[in-house]
Amino acid sequence: MLHAIRPKRNIIILYLLIPTALFLFTVFVPLVTALGYSVFEWKGGPVKTFTGLTNYVTLLHDETFWLAFQHNIYLVVACIIGQIGIAFILVMMVGSKFVRLKGIHRTFGFFPSTISAVCIGLIWSIIYHNQYGIINWFFKAIGKPELCRVWLNETDLVMLLVSIPLIWQYIGYYMVIILSAISSINEELYESAEIDGASGVQKACYITLPLIKNIIMVCITLCIAGNMKAFDSIFVMTKGGPGKASMVMAMYGYQISLNQNNMGYGSCISVGIFVLSLLVIAGSQAFIKFLTHEKEI
Amino acid sequence: MKRNKTMHSLGRGLLSFFMNAALILFSLTCIFPIIWMGYSSLKEKRAFNADIIGLPKKPSLVNYSRILSNPDYHLSESMLNSVRTTALSIVFIIVFSFVVGYILARVSFRLNRVLYAMFLLGMLIPVHSLLVPIYVVFRNCGISNQWFTLIFPYVSFGLPMGIFLMEGYVKGIPVSLEEAAAIDGSSFSYTMWYIIMPICKPILVTIGIIQVFACWNEFSFALVLIKDVTLQTVPLALTQFRGQFASDYPKQMAAMLITMSPIVILYFAFSKQIIKGMITGAVKE
Amino acid sequence: MKKKVFGGLLLAAVLLAGCGGKDTGSTYQESDFSASSEGSIVYMGELEIMHYSTSEESEGNGGSDGFRTVLAQWAEAHPDITLTQNILANAEYKTQIATLAAADDLPDVFFLQGMNTIDWAKQGLIYDLTEDIKSSPYAQDYNEAYFNPFMVGDKIYGYPALTGGTCTVVIYDKAMWKEAGYDRFPSTWEEVEKAAEYFQAQGVIPVAFGNGGKWQANSCFLSTLANRYTGPDWFLSLVAKDGAAFTDPEFVSALTEMQRLFHQTDIFNVDFNAVTNEDAREYYISGDAAAFIGGNWDESYIWAMLKDSDPEKFDHMGFAVLPQPADAKMAPNSQNIGLGYAVAINAKLADDPAKLEAAIDLAEYVTGPAFANYVTANYALGGLTKAAQVDLSAFDQITQDFYNWSYVDTEECEIYDSYITNAVWDVLNTDLQTMLNGDISPEEVAANAQAAYEANYSKE
Repeated sequence: MLHAIRPKRNIIILYLLIPTALFLFTVFVPLVTALGYSVFEWKGGPVKTFTGLTNYVTLLHDETFWLAFQHNIYLVVACIIGQIGIAFILVMMVGSKFVRLKGIHRTFGFFPSTISAVCIGLIWSIIYHNQYGIINWFFKAIGKPELCRVWLNETDLVMLLVSIPLIWQYIGYYMVIILSAISSINEELYESAEIDGASGVQKACYITLPLIKNIIMVCITLCIAGNMKAFDSIFVMTKGGPGKASMVMAMYGYQISLNQNNMGYGSCISVGIFVLSLLVIAGSQAFIKFLTHEKEI
Repeated sequence: MKRNKTMHSLGRGLLSFFMNAALILFSLTCIFPIIWMGYSSLKEKRAFNADIIGLPKKPSLVNYSRILSNPDYHLSESMLNSVRTTALSIVFIIVFSFVVGYILARVSFRLNRVLYAMFLLGMLIPVHSLLVPIYVVFRNCGISNQWFTLIFPYVSFGLPMGIFLMEGYVKGIPVSLEEAAAIDGSSFSYTMWYIIMPICKPILVTIGIIQVFACWNEFSFALVLIKDVTLQTVPLALTQFRGQFASDYPKQMAAMLITMSPIVILYFAFSKQIIKGMITGAVKE
Repeated sequence: MKKKVFGGLLLAAVLLAGCGGKDTGSTYQESDFSASSEGSIVYMGELEIMHYSTSEESEGNGGSDGFRTVLAQWAEAHPDITLTQNILANAEYKTQIATLAAADDLPDVFFLQGMNTIDWAKQGLIYDLTEDIKSSPYAQDYNEAYFNPFMVGDKIYGYPALTGGTCTVVIYDKAMWKEAGYDRFPSTWEEVEKAAEYFQAQGVIPVAFGNGGKWQANSCFLSTLANRYTGPDWFLSLVAKDGAAFTDPEFVSALTEMQRLFHQTDIFNVDFNAVTNEDAREYYISGDAAAFIGGNWDESYIWAMLKDSDPEKFDHMGFAVLPQPADAKMAPNSQNIGLGYAVAINAKLADDPAKLEAAIDLAEYVTGPAFANYVTANYALGGLTKAAQVDLSAFDQITQDFYNWSYVDTEECEIYDSYITNAVWDVLNTDLQTMLNGDISPEEVAANAQAAYEANYSKE
């Protein structure tokens, strides 16, 4: 915290007022509205029936919702490892002095993040396509047609298959975040480490990682938040199918609200997603604190 | 001793080869889809279905001409809407993220952590299952279906990530800078805008590019909050391709490339500056 | 010989007409019907309509093309009214209209899906049109049965719109099936299974089907297949809450047979659960599949595609009803047909009688004879009003065949998801997809659907 200069209170309020008001209005008012709706049986339209906590009791026993929650957790774990882990390794590699074409890797690596989720979904559903797909084309080309599958209809594999595009899409996103954090590290630190004979891996683990710990935490939180509300590309690829095999929470809420016109329960699901995301993030923070604390001892 | 050295350089050579190869492969997978979409969109549907990977034998621009000549898509209008909405949203996101992120990182006041947590929570809002309440709130305030409507949600939902990144970044900047400035008689505002902001350029550029694409591609808010066809953004205007012709993949690809083109061209044209912006400006203690 | 004459006629027709669609040369003439209401409308100002007939959709699709055409006519005939059109593709239309309905902010005139009727009528969102429909200038021409999905008790909430078409038709390549030893598409599944062996040996998909969107298995298969087991009364009883249940043994038998056909036989493409109907019909068009099951919208698409690109395959198009299962005893010649959407009016217009009058006039016009005559003359399709006289001879053989198959030679049955509520169908459709993979039992599917039905559907 800054102690040298103590800005006037009014200036701080002035600076914070507009963004905070805007944010409260667009983000929290609808959430509170949803909280209000969630205690009603409401099929849309002007008629609502107050039912108290009935929706929440239903939610606690809703197998589909909890299955969807498990799928979200799966996505979170897969994406923390896949997105942030791979992004960190790639950034380290791009930073290495052995590597050429650095600019191109940085430019291209971010590219998938610029494509809309709908487009990503379409591209990957073609890649997985049984008849036209690139994967099956490849297996046929190498003379192993028995490995061909209707990929997106494999109940046991489908969660893995829908998380691959997500990982692929966001590696670049975390690359730029990590890259910008690393740029604030003093070059001299590396130079002195090199004089001491540190290898690339050692530098990454003992200099870079501790120094960008903050931003890695930020990335993990972003990753959890993003994947707890995952929706678009999965919706395009599978609509949550086959059956419910790739159903995620936001999709279930959307389906209940807009397909089944059950706005009361749909709002209850939204609140549920919000609360669960909060718990998962809090849990992950505590877990990481516990881990780093262990290490320090 | 000498032998040891050659082994070492051999190992280095192998490592360097391996790393370069891995990165090139990665870059190729990232860029391949757009190249593939590009040449596939020049195919007719039949040719595409017969061979999805091959180059077009008789390339034709018919998919593009059919989209561009269809007055129902009012492309120029929707492009204008998208450009305006995205540009304004980005300016607000960057300025607000910077100000709020900086203050939350540096100034201690009672509600600091409350405010920080509140902005953070914004990232957890499941937008897709909240579309109805959002619409109701906007309609009741009379701000749905206006030219500026979409700026509200785009800025608000872009802020949490921006503030989050900003706050994390500022915390990595040594306080000594500001202390020195204060001793020189610099006011809070002056320090923030003229000393800290240049240092934060990398992260601001990062926030900017991430959000430009998020705003440009955004679909759900645009679908629910905009009714007037003349106010539609590009992603919404181009949804008309699905439905009846959903299986015409080359045509859909053409439509997507048209949607993406302005922003992608911008990205590649300025990628050097963007990347430079992201990695320079490092703090020297 | 006959064919040759047709060819000549067709050529002449194409030369004469020169505009899109299933042109026949019977150039469309400005309808006289618009005159009946003109002059009586006093309303001036804005009128908002929301629909999903995009220009893309209207290419080759008679219903959309007809709707756009008559809507433009109406707008032209009423220059004092500013007609604001909000057009979205169907999927986006459904999302937006559901949001608007929830927020009680529907447009003045819009398309109502049958399965939303009861919910929205209960909420007081849609205007009760019973009296207006009775006094409509076209009342005597209306095909009464088409109103059923839009009725609650004896009140009617919409003018059924677009074209009445089948949701379950088997489109097959006569030449391919002839080679397999069948002069026409088999009438029992046993025979189809036998034929499937032949086609599989040739590397051809016997029958293509796409259930990637989850609704297709219900709309374009189960709705007709189950009718063969339960007969039509069962579904009417289900709609009326008169005692029928999804757990009734006949319905469960239908589910069991459906699971067997998709999961245990080689009749369908292996990726039926992962591709949409739009993908699956490409298998047919490209010759990878010998037959395809889908709805009238698929037929019009295949028709248009083959006509241009593959005249030989076009001539081989044949139509059949779903084959009969061995243990089914009812209605072997049935197919589900109807109008899935109706033009409905926002209940709030009741406060503004002049605007309401204009809205009703619009709704009557776009679903009236002007529309029916246009689609009959140009596409050999039917609308809400009984078409005067269809001169089939002006159409190509395939269009004639499909007309006869749809309206003359087959028995009608109901489209399930035009009724009840989507809260039930959404549950059933999701389970159906799992069931067709063999992952849950038909009994369980039936029980879940019944639970959703009891929790979400009441007539009052």
